[in-house]
Amino acid sequence: MPDIAGDGPEEQPLFSERPDWTDVTPVPQYEGYNPIAPIFYTPQYKDATDYFRGIVKTNEKSERVLELTEAIIRLNPAHYSAWQYRYHTLLAIKAPLDAELKLMDSLAVQFLKTYQVWHHRRLILTAIYSPPPSNASGLNDPTATTSSSAKSKPSPESQAAARTELAFITRVLMVDAKNYHTWSYRQWLLAFFDDVHLWEGELGFVERLLEEDVRNNSAWHHRFFVVFGRGQLQGEEDRVAVLKRELSYTKDQIALAPNNASAWNYLRGILERTGTSFSNLRSFVEPYTKTHEDRLGDEEILDLENPAPSAEAELPCVAALEFLADIYEKDAVSKSVEIWKRLANELDTMRKKYWEYRIKEALKDVPVQS
Amino acid sequence: MSDNPSPILRPTPTDGFPSLTSLQQIATENTLKNRHPSAALPTDTKPPEAVLQRNQHIQFLVRNLIQGFPARYTSQDASQPWLIFWTLQGFSVLGVGLDEKNKKRAVETLLGLQHPEGGFCGGPGQAPHLLPTYAATCALANAGQPGEGGGWDAIDREKMYDFFMSLKQPDGSFLVTYDGEVDVRGIYCLLAVATLLNLLTPELIAGTPEFLATCQTYEGGFGNASFPGWALRDDVAPGEPAIDPTSPRPPLGEAHGGYSFCALASWVLLLPYINSYPTHSPSLPKPSINIHSLLRWLAHLQGEAIELGGFKGRTNKLVDGCYSWWVGGCVGIIEGLLAGGGVGVADESPENEAAGEQHDDGWDDVDDSLYNRKALQEYILYAGQHPAGGLVDKPPKPADAYHTLYDLSGLSAAQHRVIPNSKREKELLACWTEDEVKDPVEGLRRDTFAYALSWLEEEGASKYVGGAQNRVNATHPLFNLTVTHAENMMAHFYKRDVPSRYRTKLSK
Repeated sequence: MPDIAGDGPEEQPLFSERPDWTDVTPVPQYEGYNPIAPIFYTPQYKDATDYFRGIVKTNEKSERVLELTEAIIRLNPAHYSAWQYRYHTLLAIKAPLDAELKLMDSLAVQFLKTYQVWHHRRLILTAIYSPPPSNASGLNDPTATTSSSAKSKPSPESQAAARTELAFITRVLMVDAKNYHTWSYRQWLLAFFDDVHLWEGELGFVERLLEEDVRNNSAWHHRFFVVFGRGQLQGEEDRVAVLKRELSYTKDQIALAPNNASAWNYLRGILERTGTSFSNLRSFVEPYTKTHEDRLGDEEILDLENPAPSAEAELPCVAALEFLADIYEKDAVSKSVEIWKRLANELDTMRKKYWEYRIKEALKDVPVQS
Repeated sequence: MSDNPSPILRPTPTDGFPSLTSLQQIATENTLKNRHPSAALPTDTKPPEAVLQRNQHIQFLVRNLIQGFPARYTSQDASQPWLIFWTLQGFSVLGVGLDEKNKKRAVETLLGLQHPEGGFCGGPGQAPHLLPTYAATCALANAGQPGEGGGWDAIDREKMYDFFMSLKQPDGSFLVTYDGEVDVRGIYCLLAVATLLNLLTPELIAGTPEFLATCQTYEGGFGNASFPGWALRDDVAPGEPAIDPTSPRPPLGEAHGGYSFCALASWVLLLPYINSYPTHSPSLPKPSINIHSLLRWLAHLQGEAIELGGFKGRTNKLVDGCYSWWVGGCVGIIEGLLAGGGVGVADESPENEAAGEQHDDGWDDVDDSLYNRKALQEYILYAGQHPAGGLVDKPPKPADAYHTLYDLSGLSAAQHRVIPNSKREKELLACWTEDEVKDPVEGLRRDTFAYALSWLEEEGASKYVGGAQNRVNATHPLFNLTVTHAENMMAHFYKRDVPSRYRTKLSK
């Protein structure tokens, strides 16, 4: 990472000791009262924020404000007012925004868990490339209500910037593969630039991450966003192919590690989104609902569409039983109830109350059975 | 503590296929299982008792409030009202009243955070922001009162409303601050404050239910925001919806316990508005969320016995004490919705079962809980408490102000059942005359007031792991204030004499 800021503020003298800041009157935080629950700041932090309040009071927007706000951000990256004032200053003095992005590269890695580092990037990118070049590059209009022919192509610069940004996010995700803000930012970036070349790499990216860790729920969510988030990208027939591809991929991942809630949630998600009945998955799911001993009696047919659980899989798999109960709920509710009872009393006792609720709800809708 | 046999501490299955997630999960299980009362201990050691270390926690809170916070809390310098709220609400949950002198100091400190242009700031001289506005308002509900020096009448409600409106986006969402991000935390904070301070108007919340609905993900929980760009219409005439309802607005970010709490609590605060849809928005379909898939996802976030039944914040992440409130509390809201007849819930048939009279000491037949309340209490009592006072994410982490409140609030949610009481709602509706509600805005305010304050603790439904000495106060599921504080503040700002709720309960 390039270190634009040099040695960092630790080595710097206090603003109150610097001759170039003597014209600013520092404003102490509390004037005229004794606050409850105060924080014991370091002298350095108190100094910088006293000068920040001084600057805000006079509404100064200048080069040195960038230095001051950077110093505060490095000490407390959650100081949203320093970020906000910095943003307004950048625009007011027409500072080069590409340099700001470079500085953000180092700050994002250092402070990747704070909202503000990611939001600031979003503001800077939006300021550079606004208005957003949406619906512009060979993708069908997701709304299908307006003609895409009138839209202009994205500029080569914005395409390049988006690619650079995507590569940067990828590097950050290598450090923390479940960082909420990073993922959220990646999804925003894809939607904002909405460039077919950006979208088309995403499936491979997700698959690399899931190869690393098949239980990474953030990657599963991203897959759903990429496949379904934009709505209809292509014709109906292609959606059938997409569903087929997604089912096949998800089944393979479940076969690798059946007790993986992320993969089961994804499976449910794609079925619900496409209006596909759960019962279509019955022959895939059933082997996962049995113990290895019970499966010994089953005829072993190599079924490429329905991969079987591995020898090391811990069976029966609770998620598979839940799925099977959902299949039965429509026309064989007594079988569902049997499964839910087993989950409640034996296999998933932590959720006993939930399974009992499911039983109560399912039987409520059913006329008295003989 | 319990006559039930100890559950078997089964590790989470990894199917012979380890990955970073499963390795971290196992490491956490290995730490937590030693806290379980059934953990193998030397024969001469007594198993740990489930005792709420009340005095240590009170001392922790007193230290923070009176002496202040060490330098590592500099990261919370833009969250100063939160530090005060977490501490004051912690006292309220623990049943500790603040003396007049410190109440005055708290009010003075909080008013020093009000921005001249409306709303509250993270610290003096900072910018106004929705999150500190919630924290400051709720801290004032704890420490303030009407009248001179009481703080409540010093809140500039008109400017606050203007501040809220200035943050509104065409898709029904709100920025958290000028040029800030959009997310459902900010929306929850805004709606909680607008409800408490009587600031709701149809203009303020138009489009907000639809926005919330777009944040629900395929898992059932809610992410932090959604992408508006594809649905924004160009050249919208004034008065026309800025959003094309047929365009995709995908959620940004995966289903998350904190955002799900904020989204559901927001939704429920908006229910009186949502229920009046044909009146105010005849052209728009009534928005809906999927409560069933939300409930399923929430139920699955409860950790196994080996994790002491704590809650995770996302699928395949680790348990953390703060989700006792965000996730446990969120299930509590759903319990209230279902018990109350499922207002605003799609395809939900009303079912108002008589509250069972439970005199049994067993846990299995207690009530209509939808999660394991007993296990959640055990997580907080066995794994959530720091021996030196304060509460934690999980051992061996240090205690902090945030986890102390949300662990305690989660304990409260797991002990009590706070649900809408229709008799109470009728009483509160009767605080308005027919003439007053001819104005539809006043009608909305009345309905919101009555519905929000109809959530009451159900008598006889409280259960305490470790016995009644571990009892903490009930909190209002939509505000995380005691019902008394919420009621007092709302009675003041809606200018109503609220009938005593104890009569309502007795005559139920």
